[in-house]
Amino acid sequence: MLRFLLRRLAIAVPTLFLVVTLSFFMMRLAPGNPFQGDRKLTPEIEKAVNAKYGLDKPLAVQYVKYLGDVIHGDFGPSLKYRDKTVVEIIGQGLPKSLTLGGCALLLGTVLGMAMGTAAALRQNRGADYLATTVAIVGVCIPTFVTAPVLVLIFGSRLGWLPIAGWGNGAPRYLILPVIVMALPLVAIIARLTRAGMIEVLRSNYVRTARAKGLSESAIVLRHALRGAVLPLVSFLGPASAGMMTGSLIVEQVFNLPGLGKNFVMSASQRDYTLVMGVVILYATLILVMNLVADMIYALLDPRVKLS
Amino acid sequence: MSLPPKRFALGSQQSAETLELAAVKGRSLWDDARRRLVRNRAAMASIIVLGLLLLVAILGPLLAPFPYDQVNKTDTWAAPLQQGHVLGADALGRDLLSRIMVGLGVSLLVGVVATFVSLVIGVAWGATAGYIGGRVDELMMRIVDVLYSLPFIFFVILLMVVFGRNFILLFLAIGAVEWLTMARIVRGQTMSLKEKEFVEAARAAGVSGFGIVARHIVPNLLGPVVVYITLTIPGVILAESFLSFLGLGVQPPMASLGTLVSYGASYMELTPWLLIFPAITMVVTLMCFNFIGDGLRDAIDPKDR
Amino acid sequence: MRGTGLRNLLLLLVAGLALSGCEGRVIPTCPAGKLCLHAGNGTDPGTLDPAKSQLVTEDNILSDLLVGLVTDDADGKGVPGMAESWTTSPDGLTWTFKLRDATWSDGVPVTAEDFVFTLRRLVDPKTAAEYAYFAFPIKNGTEANAGKAPLESLGVRAVDPKTLEITLVHPTAYLPQILKHMVTYPVPAHVVKKWGDAWSRPEHYVSNGPFTLSYWRLGDRIRLVKNPRFYDARNVCLDEVYYYPTTDTISAERRVRRDELDIADGIAASRVPYLRQPDQIPTYVRSAPYMGVYYLAFNTHVAGLENKDVRTALSMTIDRDFIASKLIRAEKNAAYGFVPPGVTDYPGGARVFYADWSFEKRKAYARDLLAKAGYGPQRPLKLELKTASTGTAEPSALVAAVQSDWRSIGVQTSIIQEDGQVFFSDMNVRNFQVGMAGWIADYDDATTFLALLKSDTGAQNYGDYKNPAYDALLAQADVTVDPKARGALMVRAEQIALDDVGVAPVYFAFSRNLVNPAITGWNDNIMDHHRMRWVCFKDAAARRARSQG
Repeated sequence: MLRFLLRRLAIAVPTLFLVVTLSFFMMRLAPGNPFQGDRKLTPEIEKAVNAKYGLDKPLAVQYVKYLGDVIHGDFGPSLKYRDKTVVEIIGQGLPKSLTLGGCALLLGTVLGMAMGTAAALRQNRGADYLATTVAIVGVCIPTFVTAPVLVLIFGSRLGWLPIAGWGNGAPRYLILPVIVMALPLVAIIARLTRAGMIEVLRSNYVRTARAKGLSESAIVLRHALRGAVLPLVSFLGPASAGMMTGSLIVEQVFNLPGLGKNFVMSASQRDYTLVMGVVILYATLILVMNLVADMIYALLDPRVKLS
Repeated sequence: MSLPPKRFALGSQQSAETLELAAVKGRSLWDDARRRLVRNRAAMASIIVLGLLLLVAILGPLLAPFPYDQVNKTDTWAAPLQQGHVLGADALGRDLLSRIMVGLGVSLLVGVVATFVSLVIGVAWGATAGYIGGRVDELMMRIVDVLYSLPFIFFVILLMVVFGRNFILLFLAIGAVEWLTMARIVRGQTMSLKEKEFVEAARAAGVSGFGIVARHIVPNLLGPVVVYITLTIPGVILAESFLSFLGLGVQPPMASLGTLVSYGASYMELTPWLLIFPAITMVVTLMCFNFIGDGLRDAIDPKDR
Repeated sequence: MRGTGLRNLLLLLVAGLALSGCEGRVIPTCPAGKLCLHAGNGTDPGTLDPAKSQLVTEDNILSDLLVGLVTDDADGKGVPGMAESWTTSPDGLTWTFKLRDATWSDGVPVTAEDFVFTLRRLVDPKTAAEYAYFAFPIKNGTEANAGKAPLESLGVRAVDPKTLEITLVHPTAYLPQILKHMVTYPVPAHVVKKWGDAWSRPEHYVSNGPFTLSYWRLGDRIRLVKNPRFYDARNVCLDEVYYYPTTDTISAERRVRRDELDIADGIAASRVPYLRQPDQIPTYVRSAPYMGVYYLAFNTHVAGLENKDVRTALSMTIDRDFIASKLIRAEKNAAYGFVPPGVTDYPGGARVFYADWSFEKRKAYARDLLAKAGYGPQRPLKLELKTASTGTAEPSALVAAVQSDWRSIGVQTSIIQEDGQVFFSDMNVRNFQVGMAGWIADYDDATTFLALLKSDTGAQNYGDYKNPAYDALLAQADVTVDPKARGALMVRAEQIALDDVGVAPVYFAFSRNLVNPAITGWNDNIMDHHRMRWVCFKDAAARRARSQG
């Protein structure tokens, strides 16, 4: 186990290094800069601004300096939110995104597995088609449609739920955004569960279990679900990294202080330091979640050895 | 058993695990598969609907009541069935039906071309890595890992910024991100295939490495690859719609389902038809691909009878 | 089991929704007994340090925190702020400001030295202020910013703690306008010296205005609390002001309907007629002319576009009335001139010569002009029209409308919509043919618009429009002290630029806000400046009683 972890760590470090390098240069080679807007700066002012934020040195020098700073945990100030440091922005946003993403993951997984199970047990019958259709519709409608439509129905017309704001994390504020984030997830998980389950239900050991006279619910709970969980684990690893870093649309529609908008806005506004911060965060999360997924996988499936 | 491929591209709603299990055992199975597919009502209905949509998209410019970019200054915000606009018109009086027809074609084209790009890169990359194995495999998959760790949207925005807002490049950019999953699936498949007897036989007969990959491995990947394709196309169409929402979609006055839906969403209560009709078209199209994908997977998977 | 799991779960979910149902309506936070105002404010500010600020959303907040020498009244007009009064020397070059007795929120007096410190800091290259050019009319401002003169040589002097003297390069009639712009707001010298750049963080912030900064979380909210040490504190009605970033304006609109927000800014133009319907929220909608213009820039280095006739043909074939009435939904805002109406000390009246022609007549005339320039069915004019992409629908529709208009006179236009940063890069290096640009005024004076087209403006004169007569008139206006004479000179310049088609103005900007009708002291004005020190509620007492903390 320890050897496995060390080995993965040994791979993770160069991977992260490459991610940082690639993003750094891709970002810098993109046209534009963080200080350019509809007001063009005079050459003198432009020079002063670049000097202040260290953008006047050759790119290679900036790169080496950035690497050094990052190793020391200094991600610099954001170039757009200049009163805030990158660490501060991520530190404020990440817990919110973790809460939202975590709830959405939970809701999506529970609902998705329930629907997938129902569909698998009644394959090619009414319930199956219903569940599959609901699942597919869930994944086919873009979030920028589901979010405002749900707000319109549950928030504005019925007046049941708050429609925006963090509300200091009160659960009722989170219901709508969590549902919007969970919808596509429900769809994917339902289909993975259905497929995995159908497969297990046809396997020899389930047949044996049936022959031994085990009740149907015992079979489903003990064997089938476990088989269906395996593909879910490898899906949820990387998917959770995406969920936990937030969603631009959900944050905009619901006015939430998450991280998701930074992935889009900082790239399009050329906020170099913030871009690098969120990219490093995302890559780290991906590496960690994959590691976790592999370990859970090995735990659930004795055929797989961690190597 | 090797560890299954782990990660999923934005739109792929398909477990690589099940794809892998859907190993194709030989050509004789295709007949069985076809029979099973024909029996799947949802899939068959989807094939018919998709065929019709495809026909509409291709013949769109001929069938459309108006040119898609014709501004009709007296027909602004026309409701459905008013002033000869069957599905209504937008802020510039452009006919919605005509725009949906064009948009459908554009979206399908985006989906197909991007998927094709991801297919070509993914299959070549995955098959090579899987077949050669060892250090080369390690290196190639490490590259895939690195690209996987970059946030999708960041990657696409930068690609578009660097290469400009070119229609073709839009497809390439999306395809260039989606191939990663394909490569992983194909690699896993190849690794198990290359241990099979018929590959051993070919090798013993002196067929070159390239020949084996091209003639024996790749054709046998067809099953999972076909399923993957039917699930990647809708994923790409959705990704394109998100780019449209960000204002990075096709150039105006051209339309795609994504631009139409995101445009309509901002006028939801005022002119609901601008959202409803494009959204229905989009959902129906994506549903067809998904049902066909499901049907194909069920049909090809030999364990599933 | 048999699928009941799904049913149970759905039931649970519905029950959960129903349980939380009665709590749907939200009473926004406000300490007990206090009067609070909740305002949607576009995007998060990037900074609350005036020297580094650039955005309108920053201006809204900064102006509630800090008060400059001159300040806005409820109508956005300049009135004495930190300066009680001022005098100007006969040559218009030396301005002397008498400061009022006032203190910072930490009790330290505001002195003339603070202003000297502030203005030197603004031009200091180490501050790296994007808006340093606001100090360029001040003597040695340009030189000090370029590092060619010491900061101490800047024409700002504290005669005594209560008297400030500013020396200018040329008479600058609009100096009071500059002195009520956020970048010249005073910063507390004693605090900035102590904390450096970190002074503008909520924990260190010290202000001299009606409110102090209490809390700021990105993407969530900013909280301002009334400053009891403000010189006019007894006339400030609100106890607390909350600003929320509301990127999604439709979402903000719904929150206004639910009384969660009292004000929302930047409502989409297309929603204004809808919201004005009697069954919607007509009394909330506030739309007024705003100091900005949207225009097409023609790159005069491009073959064809160097020809004035071609530019005239293109400009006159833009159906501005259609765009204004149907697309941006503000009929009166079609732009037939470059400087928006309502600018202070500017008589206006410059117009394109075809302003009253019918669109058909214009098209016929334009076709003739193009034919004269050698373009026709055999040799159609082909153009690229560049625009920045935004997430909103209107800009794309606008360029599509222009493309369609130009098609009707045989011009083939391809639209290139680019990422904002790429777009501005391209415009700055003249990598465009026709570009869709916009300009929102920095201050209420015609020069902010007219300076865009001076031949020595540099990058911001996108099309490199050049006419010595135009430059000469503006130079003359710069040294003219009499406002009437100055205004007349500038109108003549504007007419020249319009006749030359230096740019093709399309429409004038207008502000669109939703304001709770119970609010008082929030007046429509051309700067769209609404300082919270003037704002109150008609039912203030009832609202105070309702606040529960």
